[in-house]
Amino acid sequence: MIRSIVGLIIVLTLSAVVISVIPDLSVPVDLPRTGQYYTEHGVEDTGSVNLVTSVVVAYRGLDTLGEVVVLFSASTAVVLILTLIPVGSDPTPPSSIVALTARVLPAAVVLFGAYVITHGHLSPGGGFPGGAIVASAFLLVMLGSSSVPGSSKFLASIESLAGVTFGLLGFWGMMVFGQFLNNLVIPQGSPGKIVSAGIIPLVSLAIGAKVASELSSVFASYRNKGGEA
Amino acid sequence: MNPSLLAAASIGTGLMMLIAAIAALTVKKLISAIIIVGFVSLSSSVLFLLMNAPDVAITEASIGAAASTVIFLWGRGRIGGEE
Repeated sequence: MIRSIVGLIIVLTLSAVVISVIPDLSVPVDLPRTGQYYTEHGVEDTGSVNLVTSVVVAYRGLDTLGEVVVLFSASTAVVLILTLIPVGSDPTPPSSIVALTARVLPAAVVLFGAYVITHGHLSPGGGFPGGAIVASAFLLVMLGSSSVPGSSKFLASIESLAGVTFGLLGFWGMMVFGQFLNNLVIPQGSPGKIVSAGIIPLVSLAIGAKVASELSSVFASYRNKGGEA
Repeated sequence: MNPSLLAAASIGTGLMMLIAAIAALTVKKLISAIIIVGFVSLSSSVLFLLMNAPDVAITEASIGAAASTVIFLWGRGRIGGEE
């Protein structure tokens, strides 16, 4: 009773705040100065046709590196906790529909994920979504089998390799131009081609491999019974 | 797409999300709540697409709708049972 009254009060207060703010809302006509710079100079600066990728990987590449570190620590913590605490039971065997789907679909999903990763500078997508799509293909494989995935050195080495690649690409720019993650250590090429936009495709590839392997190991650790560390 | 149709589609999707979110809070079974939250994620990805943000829409559909729903389901399996 008290809980629902408090909840109702909170909801009413929040709606009052929203209603009082709505008349002042306006759709911004001009972009802010940074956004305007990005839209005007983005393509010639980075060679990437997709401006979102040029901001995420080239202009604000350092932030993306931080994001990758956050994901790395989160997945490490999840895997650690789930392998140390022995709970859960054997996975229930999948129904025949799921089993058949898991046999047919993953190849197409991996292909789509690879497309999203490699075309990040041309069309919507990039390393993070593409890596998540590839990981969801592995998720489908796990859903379709009744066995438990063992611990994988392969995933861990892919992950470390991708992280080291991202860092080295950053330091390459530092050695040549004195700027971390400088995009133009590789010639920019003509915008719109698959080989263009400097190091953006390489960085996307590294991010994609890292995200895919991290999410896959998180999924695998949920599937494990745990307790074998 | 014509602007008024776009606005109507966005508002419709938003209302659907609102109703589904309330349903997720009030529904009794945990597994139904998880599926409804997955539906809310998927609708929000449609909403991002309508707002011309395909990059965000792809990420939301793959992580929000697919991965986190399965993680919730498996997490529910690990803690064992309802409520």
